[in-house]
Parts: sequence; structure tokens; C-alpha cells
Amino acid sequence: MSITLANLTKTFGDSIVVNDLSLEIGDGECVVFLGPSGCGKTTTLRMIAGLEQPTAGEIRINDHPVNDVPPQQRDIAMVFQSYALYPHLTVAQNIAYPLRVRKLASAEIQRQVSQTAALLEIEPLLARRPRDLSGGERQRVALARAIVRHPRAFLMDEPLSNLDAKLRLQMRGELKRLQQTLGTTTVYVTHDQAEAMTLGNRVAVMHKGGLQQFDTPLEIYNCPANRFVAEFVGSPGMNFIEGRIELSQRRFVRNGLSLPLSEGLMEQASGRQLGVCTLGIRPENVRISPAQIDDWMPATVYVTELMGSETLVVAELDSERIIARAAGDLRADPNTAIWIDLDLSRAHLFDHGTGRRL
Amino acid sequence: MNLVRTILKYLVSLLALLAALVPVYWMLTISFKREIDQFAVPPKWFFFSPTVEHYADAFLGRSFGQYLVNSLIVAVGSTACALVLGTLAAYSLARFRLPRKLDQKLALWILSTRMMPAIVTAVPLFLIMRDLHLVNTRLSLVIVYTAFNLPFVVWMMRGFFAEVPRDLEEAAMVDGDSRLGAFRRVVLPLVTPGLAATAVFCLIVSWNEFLFALVFTQTDDAMTLPVGIAGRVTQYGIKWGAMSAAAVVAIVPILAFALAVQKYLVRGLSLGAVKG
Repeated sequence: MSITLANLTKTFGDSIVVNDLSLEIGDGECVVFLGPSGCGKTTTLRMIAGLEQPTAGEIRINDHPVNDVPPQQRDIAMVFQSYALYPHLTVAQNIAYPLRVRKLASAEIQRQVSQTAALLEIEPLLARRPRDLSGGERQRVALARAIVRHPRAFLMDEPLSNLDAKLRLQMRGELKRLQQTLGTTTVYVTHDQAEAMTLGNRVAVMHKGGLQQFDTPLEIYNCPANRFVAEFVGSPGMNFIEGRIELSQRRFVRNGLSLPLSEGLMEQASGRQLGVCTLGIRPENVRISPAQIDDWMPATVYVTELMGSETLVVAELDSERIIARAAGDLRADPNTAIWIDLDLSRAHLFDHGTGRRL
Repeated sequence: MNLVRTILKYLVSLLALLAALVPVYWMLTISFKREIDQFAVPPKWFFFSPTVEHYADAFLGRSFGQYLVNSLIVAVGSTACALVLGTLAAYSLARFRLPRKLDQKLALWILSTRMMPAIVTAVPLFLIMRDLHLVNTRLSLVIVYTAFNLPFVVWMMRGFFAEVPRDLEEAAMVDGDSRLGAFRRVVLPLVTPGLAATAVFCLIVSWNEFLFALVFTQTDDAMTLPVGIAGRVTQYGIKWGAMSAAAVVAIVPILAFALAVQKYLVRGLSLGAVKG
């Protein structure tokens, strides 16, 4: 099932929650809406579900406008952030609910419930009630209730946010596998960029109600449309250095810094009247050495964070804080000198005013 | 120190219990005492020769059986009406927002009707009932008691509905259920404890109501127990035995209902199904 959002807008009173959002979700695709809280991603999802009426614009399912179709007739399943399991029903009755509402024969309901329970490995839980389940088990039951009736699309509203870190990783993998097995169109809302990168065929990054970028995870990571996307996607996010472009010298300049610009960046910068602009570079493109190396720039260690497999080094370079991803065995004490090299072939330039990538 | 506190605690509880139960016990004994024992000095607390003559007198000789039936019909009927209407109204008030906070104003206005002394409405209501030819009918009492219980039901149930997470009905609707179906299959089962508590209260109010029953009913056809019992105080004498026997029987239905729904009254809402 394809879902089209055309100039979708939603306002609550004076505040614009979703602003002129247009995008298309293909059949069988998994699209992730990514953004900080309050960016309008959940509201968008609720509009697709039919729980919220758009203020303006249109939602089309398989090219049919559905603005006036109530949720029960859209044949879409939704997994709520709170799971929304019916507390007075057993797990089996919870899963059976969508089928019972559709008045299926009880033998058929029984068959489909046990089939779905087997798929999600929750057969031993069927007789229990939601309050006797752990968070991960509730999550599975909520999923089972969504897939039991083979809906045309899944909507998931931060389904993993109530799980502890380890379980979240495990469920993330299982969700991906499930989505690929079933091949059902899925819209997934999250504020966790790692979930977005791993789950989405395409990711829609939202900020303050507006769509910032809609592209594949790799494209979003490697070619962020603007400073917000660059900062929000990736952990840690991109480093930014404010400065000036000197076109004639082919250099990026700032107080005590002067960096040669690569061919690619020159191309980006050329033809533009540039004063100030922002240079962005990901932590993995910053090399770092405790011993002095010629041509590398001296900096001061601000703090180091051990991660085991790698070490994150926060260094102060010309009073700007830069995060670098270094090998796990690197050790550096705060306030000691360190040498930095920026791989400028992987860097980006952003407009200082609009934040847009050049 | 701890021992003293414990003793004090039980002493206070005991006093409260005595204050509540001694009158009931006294009424119970009177209903079984011969008239000569009822006013014996010193009072006969425990030992007397029991008799059921007052019960026979009340329910065979007089019309208390009919009063009991009337009371049951009126109390159950008005409670059922108030619950159905009030629950639907409360759900709407808890879930739907009207512009300019009209929903909140409406709720307050509904509550305000309870602030008026009941006696103020007695005369106008009597005139209305007379024009509708409803005086001295059980229906008139059902209507009036429904009207009096309605604001209470709306306010109680509005609170219970507000506690049910919206996600649950939305999930039910996305699952394919209509709003009314979601209400019936998901929301209503979750507020059953609240519904039971509200029903007990409505029943008690309707069961005990005296003023309107006195004004609206004149004959045994419609008269309820409170009016019937009080009617045994006459200028020729007071039938303590028959009144006590009727009062003892009057306690039974409410007590039975309260015991039947006790588990709902005690059991809290099954929370924990929503958050992980």
C-alpha cells in the first residue's frame, strides 16, 4: 500500500505542529520519521492513522484521498508508544480483538492467534494479563495484535522507547526482520537516530513541523541537507567550525586556523558570494594523535570518553570544541596537547544564515 | 508506648463501631420482642422470649410487602436510568473538547443543580406531576430520583473515565472497532469498579429518600418503605414492633447489593497495562 502526504498541515490553536509536509511512501517500504520531541512526527503518524484530522492538505492511500475515512476503515494497524494493551483482557483476547471486531469465526480466530503467537514466540503468555508481563513481552503482544489481521500498513509510534537499552537493541533487529519477512508498508516514528538508520529504507528527518530531508539512511548520513540534519543524525553528531571562505586562496579561514579546501568543497563554494560560513566534519573524519605530527594542528584535550571499542576525544581547536573518534586504546589526559588532522575531502560547508548545505 | 497506641486505636474503632451498630441491634431486638418486653426497665439487651408476630403484622396484616416492592422498583429503576444517562454524558464530557471550554462549564452547571435544596423543587415538581397525571405513581419517583442522581453519576464517572488512557480507545478504533464498540468493549469494563460504587450510592439515596415520596404518593400503590414506616406513627399509637420489622427488612436489599459488588469496590483499576 502506498501512502501519500500532500501539503499536510496541522495546527493546534496558534501553534503549527506539522507544516506543509509532502512525501510519498511506496508499497512495502519502511519509512522512518526521525526528529526531536515536538517536531510533529507523532502528529503526522496519528493523521495517517485517522486519529487526528489534518488542518490542511491531503492524505492519500493507494491514491485515494482518506481525509474523511475514519480510522476503523483504513485497515492500518498501529503500535502505540504505551503499547495500549487492553488491561482487562488476556494476551490471547488482546491479540484476538481486531479479529473479533471483524466478526471472524471463533475457530478461525483461534488459529490465527496461535499462528501469530508462534511467530513472535509468545505462546506461553497467552493466558496471562498485560499487567503480569514484562516490558519486552508487552511489546511483543502489541506487535502480535498489530500483525494478526494482516493490515495494509503498520504505524509504529516509538515502540521501543519504553524498553531498556539491551532489549531495545534486540527488538530493533527483530522488528527489522519482521518487516522484511512480511513486506508490509511501515511508517515508524522515533527520536533515536540509530533506530532510524537501521530500520528505514528511507528516513524523513523532521524539525519544528517541517520536513528537513527525505532520503536513504546513507544519503542522509553522508550528504545532510542542512546543519540540523548533520547534527541530529550520527552519534555523536557532526562537528561545526565557524569561519570564512577565501576563494582566491582556496582556503577556509578562521582566527588562528587556515585550512586548504578540497576540489569538492571548492566546487560547492564557487559562484557564491560568501562571507561567513560553517564547516562541518564528522567525528570519524577527524584524526588525532598524542604525538606531534608535522602538518597536523595542535589542540588541547578537553575530555576523553572511553567506549571500549573506541575512544571519543573532545579537543579544543582554536577555542572550538571538536569531537574525534579514535582507537579504543588511545589515552589522553585533559589539558594536555594533542594533534589533529581534518579529512577535508569528507567535510561539508553550510550557509551560516540558513544552515543549508552548499 | 506502642502498646498504648494499639490499644487506643482499637478503642476508638470499637467506639465508632458501637455507635454505628447499637441502634441497628436495638432495632433488630425490638422487631423480635413482645410489646411488653420492648420498654422493660431495665432494658432487656439479650434475653427475651422472641416472637415473629411483628413481622407477620407488618407484612401480612399491613401493606409493608407492597411498600417493599414499590421501593425496589423505584430504587432499581431510577438507579438504572441515572447510570445509563449519566455514564454516557460523563464519557462525552471526559473525552470531547468543546470550544471556549464549554465542556467544563457544562460539567459545572450539571453539578450546580445539586446545590439547590431539594425542598425548593418539591412544589413545582408536584404541579408538573399533577399535570402529567403522574401523582401517586412509581414512575414519578423514578423520574425525580433519576434527576437527582444524574449530576452525581456524571461527576463520579467523569473522573473514572478521565483515568482511562485515551490510547486504549484509539487502539481499539484503529483495530477496527467503532467508537461505541470501543466504549462498550474496552472503556466500560475498565470503569466497572467506579460504576459499582456509583450504583451503590444511587441505590442508597433512592432507597432512603423520604421527602418526595411523602409529597408524591398517597396510597399503598406507590408508597415506598420510608414513608410507609413513618406512617405507623399515628395519633392513636406507635407500632414500634411493625416499624422495626419493616426497617430490618429494608436494610437487607442494600446490604446484599453492597456485599455483591464489594470486590469491585475494593479492587482498584488494573493499572500497569499501559506503561512498560
